[in-house]
Amino acid sequence: MTAAMSGSAPVHAVEAVGLRKQFGEIHAVDGIDLALEPGRIYGLLGPNGSGKTTLIRLLTGLAHATAGEARILGTRMPSRQALGQIGYMPQAEAIYPELSVGENLSFFARLEGHADRSAIDRVLDLVELSGRKGAPALELSGGMRRRLSLACTLVHDPKVLFLDEPTVGVDPALRVQFWTHFRRLAAAGTTILVASHVMDEADRCDELIFVRSGKVIGRGTGAELRANAGTDNLETAFLKLSGLDAEGRPLDGNEAVA
Amino acid sequence: MSGSRILAIARRIAQGFRRDERTLGLMFVVPLVVTALLGWVLRDTKDATVQVVMVNEAGAPGQRIVDALTTATIGAPDGVEVISHTDSEDAAKEQLRLDNGDIAIVIPASLPSDVLAGTRPTFTVITKGTEPAADAAAFGKLQSVMATLAAELAPPGAATPVIPKIARETVYLTPDADQVDVLAPIFLGFFGYFFVFLLTGISFLRERIGGTLERLLGTPVSRGEIVLGYSLGFGMFATIQIVFLTVFILNSIAVPAIGPIPAFSIGLGVDSAGSPILAFVIALLLSIGAVNLGIFLSTFARTELQVIQFIPLVIVPQGLLGGLLFPVAQLPDALNVIAHGLPLTYAIEGLREVMLKGADLSSRVVQTDLLVLAGIAVFFVILASTTIKREVA
Ligand SMILES: Nc1ncnc2c1ncn2[C@@H]1O[C@H](COP(=O)(O)OP(=O)(O)O)[C@@H](O)[C@H]1O
Ligand SMILES: [Mg+2]
Repeated sequence: MTAAMSGSAPVHAVEAVGLRKQFGEIHAVDGIDLALEPGRIYGLLGPNGSGKTTLIRLLTGLAHATAGEARILGTRMPSRQALGQIGYMPQAEAIYPELSVGENLSFFARLEGHADRSAIDRVLDLVELSGRKGAPALELSGGMRRRLSLACTLVHDPKVLFLDEPTVGVDPALRVQFWTHFRRLAAAGTTILVASHVMDEADRCDELIFVRSGKVIGRGTGAELRANAGTDNLETAFLKLSGLDAEGRPLDGNEAVA
Repeated sequence: MSGSRILAIARRIAQGFRRDERTLGLMFVVPLVVTALLGWVLRDTKDATVQVVMVNEAGAPGQRIVDALTTATIGAPDGVEVISHTDSEDAAKEQLRLDNGDIAIVIPASLPSDVLAGTRPTFTVITKGTEPAADAAAFGKLQSVMATLAAELAPPGAATPVIPKIARETVYLTPDADQVDVLAPIFLGFFGYFFVFLLTGISFLRERIGGTLERLLGTPVSRGEIVLGYSLGFGMFATIQIVFLTVFILNSIAVPAIGPIPAFSIGLGVDSAGSPILAFVIALLLSIGAVNLGIFLSTFARTELQVIQFIPLVIVPQGLLGGLLFPVAQLPDALNVIAHGLPLTYAIEGLREVMLKGADLSSRVVQTDLLVLAGIAVFFVILASTTIKREVA
């Protein structure tokens, strides 16, 4: 804390201490500690229902933690001021179908306190929707709606980005472009946490966080995780860390990891 | 045609219902509740005594009639009771204005000379004029009073009673005001409430289930900003709606016959006695309350269908108890208490005061109604903002 104030030690971009979230009997997030450094891209990987979305909602202060705390850029969440520095792209599209592409963007830009037109045009270019600025969001294809959703998240130049399955339904060529842009943002100091349930984009991240049943079961670069598991396949590495073999069967004498 | 496909569709509907206990409950419970409420209102609405103020302008002969009537109606055997008398029409109208009496009967100064000359005297009956249906009922009850009058009017020794002629006057509006004039304030109040509630309820529900609310909450926006923004946005549409409706109700444009289309008029041409702006303010306060009630209740709905299901809960009781169909004062006591917890009751009372009686801001009733409506609006704004949590689980 004092370090943060004196500025002598770097403040973590994202920090979680003993975070827990329980929905009745379900432990959606079951004691997670994290410290993410500025300017890096983190992949939050785990199967459906492993608690990725819930973890992001706890980190952004959208859900109240059952226990533990979350800090963004040194500020304890929930904090409205800190939200101005955060970009959150939810898993659902969360855009207004009756508004046009441009109207959606300028609405979210205004809420973030950025009413500047050039920012809107810049993100529209990035997601290749400049030609559809006046089109109602209703008329966009599924992939276009996700691109618009991403644009709404980027319009205010956030310092910390939470992207929940951002490339679902986006075609491969545009994915490459997205990742090029994420990389550029990271180089400029933005911290990015990308949640995904598929491993195929994992190697584009600087570091991977494997989650299962609300717990972190592995962390490191793709190469490290593969080497530790003695495999060249990330999925196998994940299964091994889960205590399962390559076919998803329990490994002998290794039921401790769950 | 395939029977099994038809059955599959029917089965799917039944399965959907099984998971939606609320809809099922509403389907069976709401009609019962509404019917019971309606039955209660109809059965136990107080049959109010018609209170008569006698106006005697005819001196001693008139006083004889007043005394006879007063004695004959003690305890209101026929639902009519003389409660006071004065000697001027203006004083009587003032009494009616103050709600001290429902009807005034004026005995004319010309009574003695009319009776002597053998002509039928003309009695003037004054009603408030704001409720034609209630006035008509009161007239029915006056029959017995008229019989007593006729008997008293006959000069000593005359065989046939003298039947007086009746002239009508009203305190507010005119004697030939129709139901439309009287219902105009109610239209204004009801639509201002109903549509705004439905629109906000559904559009806020869409924010909740569509994920845009969660996204909004991921920006530095505060709950108060969301609620006020909604109030302003929907309030703007409510304003336009109310302005259109007010203009339509108060004006009438004659359209001449064109070819085969006969002449007709657009608008109701109702005369508002009071300030249309004051009426507008009342309707606007009501609809700001409705916006926020919509936001609040959207928390308890998971689908658009469930918002529609709030209609029988939110709209129907107010329609029954708010003074739309039955005067609030005559409701059974328990329902009267409930009526005074409903915003529409105050809005309709205020709108009627302003539009029918020409009340302005100096009127106690209008002041109370404005204050209560503003209070209810603030209450719903606060209630609505408590339902917008950063935790949107
Ligand atoms: N609002 C909620 N109410 C109850 N259970 C929830 C809620 N949100 C998530 N869960 C449960 O928490 C677990 C983790 O869900 P989630 O965080 O959405 O996983 P992921 O994003 O990794 O697919 C799941 O079992 C899910 O059913
Ligand atoms: Mg998820």
